Formats: sequence, structure tokens, C-alpha cells
Amino acid sequence: MHATRKPFFLWRHLNKLRWLTLATVFSMLVLLPFLHVYQTYVAAHAYDLLAPQEQELYDTMEALTAPFVTDPAEDLDAVKGNTWSGNLFGLKLSDPLAALSQVAAGMNLYTPFLLTALIPVVFTLLFGRFYCGWICPASFLYELNSNFAILLRRIGLSTGHRKLDRRFKYLVLGAGLVLSMLTGSVIVAAIYPPAVLGREIYYAVALGGFGAGAVFFAATMLFDLMVAQRGFCRYLCPGGALYSLLGRYRLVRVQRVVENCNDCAKCNAICEFGLDPLRDGFGQECNNCAACIAVCPTDALTFEIRPSDIAYQGPGHLGKRYQHRQRRETPPEVEATA
Amino acid sequence: MRRRTLLQRLMYATGIAAASTLPYGFGRLATPEVQADPRTHLRPPGALKDDDAFNAACIGCGLCGEVCPPRCIRFYRREGGYRVNTPYINPEEKACTLCAKCMEACPTEALTETPRNEIDMGIAQIDRSACYPWVDRGICGACVSICPLGERAIGFKYWNQYQPVVKSECVGCGLCVEVCPHPSLPIRIVERSQGTVAPHRL
Repeated sequence: MHATRKPFFLWRHLNKLRWLTLATVFSMLVLLPFLHVYQTYVAAHAYDLLAPQEQELYDTMEALTAPFVTDPAEDLDAVKGNTWSGNLFGLKLSDPLAALSQVAAGMNLYTPFLLTALIPVVFTLLFGRFYCGWICPASFLYELNSNFAILLRRIGLSTGHRKLDRRFKYLVLGAGLVLSMLTGSVIVAAIYPPAVLGREIYYAVALGGFGAGAVFFAATMLFDLMVAQRGFCRYLCPGGALYSLLGRYRLVRVQRVVENCNDCAKCNAICEFGLDPLRDGFGQECNNCAACIAVCPTDALTFEIRPSDIAYQGPGHLGKRYQHRQRRETPPEVEATA
Repeated sequence: MRRRTLLQRLMYATGIAAASTLPYGFGRLATPEVQADPRTHLRPPGALKDDDAFNAACIGCGLCGEVCPPRCIRFYRREGGYRVNTPYINPEEKACTLCAKCMEACPTEALTETPRNEIDMGIAQIDRSACYPWVDRGICGACVSICPLGERAIGFKYWNQYQPVVKSECVGCGLCVEVCPHPSLPIRIVERSQGTVAPHRL
């Protein structure tokens, strides 16, 4: 009679894949500076000075990158940089926010650089804020941080759960672009957590000691703990604002299958961004992280290809509210047939 | 009454707009401006000559530092002011070897690929009142023997084996500064306009 539409069975395991990607990106961010340090040893013909584990790491990365470089002296240069701007197996990629704020700061268009942001922009147009949920190295720490907040709540400490205005981050993005224009420097880079994190890890590993960004990042973690869960991403992050805008008409969206929903509201509880999947409230902030799909006990959430959200579909058909209403509406018919 | 509500709204909007700059203010406060000695803060090779243009072009990704084989590229950090996260080279600690990898790696136009002879990081300047051979305190020639550009950039004074003289083709990589054995570093990298011989006030 109902429950005909089942989501593809792999969608509920996407969340694990997402954690794997986040962890990979983050560990690369730590490993690449180390590899750079080893590289200088190797370049100085001091390969033997590396510890055996370091040699193993170096050899593995060398084997992975060797097909992508022509000169053996440039081994390992095929994977460099961070998510702000980097080189991924010879493919130069940059953050769309980096491109935008650099255009604002310099007031000129440098095409080779803008082209490096093209692939991320296309992906954002298709998948919305996927960068925030799947790649952002700061997200990795912020999600761990919100898990830490759960621990804190369990031992009786209260963590912040204030509701601010989500539109504030668009203002932060605008202010960043205007300030970049006025000061003539890419000022957004100083407060955009993935850029800050990538750079600070590199400073700490290869150059010794953190810069000012580490303090800023610690402050954002505290903000998340004390003001709102994932508060920085939801209310302040200029990059999140840009991706939300780009992803407004994204094609791939998580949607609710009303026939399977039983109104349990687990999706609302799990959503890191405080969205409202239960009432079809995904909006442009959804980062397709698929955590709600993984937690749904009745397979009522799935990916759909459509340029806008489905309007509120009413209470879930397996829930009590819907069934009460049905019973109230159906008795006359039942009597008539009986 | 209407004017009053309008004013209130205007003030409210200004307040929110001002609040949205707070994160940037926080970031800026953490990096106060400190006057950097230009002799120990050279821009990497191929950098835009205009420092404001360089700051506008550089996105602070750190790629130039990450590909640098001698790891000579440092970054303005807590002391950076508006230059924060942009690269510099301190030749007194570690000098550039002109390998050109940073220029290839830079995603923006901040570091543009430049032929080796046309790089302009500055020019070496010698203080003839301190350099050992110039004050007859022995023989040296370290700067001449390390120079990657060789005779075109630095050589010895005519008829003298060891008194170094900088020539106009010097690109200012700073390797001579790194190897100079004199504790006061009588050779240093300066703006091209300041010449190759340190002026002396008498």
C-alpha cells in the first residue's frame, strides 16, 4: 500500500565515507609539511638521516606521485599545498573564496588563478555546500568539537545552543570583500578556518611555531562550545556564505520521502547545522553530509536531483499525526462500504 | 515619529554591519604592524615589485614555502600587520638558490615566472669599511665563490685577488649574505637604487 520508494541502500553509508574523506584531507594537511621537510633532507643527499618510518612514508608518497612528475628531483611536488590553494596530482585547485577575495583585493582578473577555482565552483553548483561537509579540514575538528560538547553535556556542563540569524554570515562575507578592497590585502584568509588551519599546521611543522591564526582558530572552537553548536560555520563563516549562495539551486539534494517518515525527528537532532529535515526545511545551508540519511530508522531520507526543495509535505505517513488524521477523515467511507 | 523609527532602523543596520567586521578586527588585532627591516625581509624571486600589488595578489596559501627546496621562504606571522601570511626571505638565515620552484607553484600573479637574469630581489651592497679583504684583514672570497650567477654578478677588484665588487647583473638572491663570515655581515641585499657600495657618513 505504501513505503514503495526506498532510497538506494548505499546512501546510508555515505556518512562513513564522509568521515574517511575528512580524516584523509586533515591527515594530508599534517603529512605534507612533514614530507616537505623530508624532501629537503633527500635533496641534500641525506636520505639516510631520516628515521626508517620517515623513509617509508617518503617512499610511499614518492611512488604515488612519481607518475605525475617528469623530473625525479621534483618527486612529491605533485601533491602540495592545502585546501585554500593547492596542487592535487598536478591539478591546481583553489578555493572559490580565495579567487573572489583576491579579485576584490587586487581589483583585477588574473585568469590562470580564476581557472583553478573553476572545478570547485562547478561542484558547488551541483552539490551545494558539499565542501563544508566533505572536505573542509576545519569541519573535521569542529565536528569532533561538537562530539566533545556532547561529552561535556553528559557530565553536566551546559554548552551553548543560541539561535542567531543565519543571514549574518552573508554580511561577514560582504564585509570581508569590502575590507579586502579597502585594505588591498586578502583579509578573508585571516578568518576563514580551513585557510587558517592549513597554513598554521604548515607553519607549526615546517617552520616551527604557530602564527596568529592558531589563536583565532582556538577562539572559534570556544565560540562553538559556548555560543552555538557549529556556530562559526552557521553564522560567521564567509566561505560557508559563498557556498550557500552558489548552492542555492544545487541539483543534488537530500529530500524527505513523506511516505516512509514516522516523525521521529532524529534527523533534526543529528543535523550539525540545525536544519529542519523533518519539515522539509533543508534550504541552501544543507551541506549534503548525509548524517540524517544514516540516522533515519525508516529510510525516509534520500538524494534527489531537483533544483529546489520540495515544499512542506505534511507529517510523515508512518507517524501518529498523519494516521489520526487519516482515521478522522476515513470513517464515513468505511461505513459506506460496510 | 516616522523619522525616529527610520533613524532607529538605520542605527540598527549600522550596528549589524559593524558587528560583521568583528572577526576581521579580531584577526587584525592578533597581528600588529611591526616595521620589518627590508634587508632581512626580501620578497621571493619573481615577486611583483610594488609591495601593495603583491599584498593584493598574494592569498597567503603558503605554496611557495611548501615547494622551496632550501626552505628559505618564511612568512610574516604575528608581527605581519597587513602583510600577514605573505612570504619573505631572510638571507641572513637561509638564502634563495634561484631554483624557480616558488614561481611555478604560485597560483596567483604574486610570483610570476621570470627568467633567472631578470629576477629583481634587490642588489648586493658591500660595506668596504668592514669586509675583511677590503680592510686588509685577510683573504676571503666566499661571496664570489658561492654566487650562482658567477662573474656576471660579483667579481674581484682588478689587480686584487680578494676584494669583492658587485656588478649590475646581481639579482639579489642573498647567498653571499648567507655565507659571509664577518659577524656584522658587510654584504647585504638592498634596493637596486641604493647601489653596490655602502655609502659612508664621515
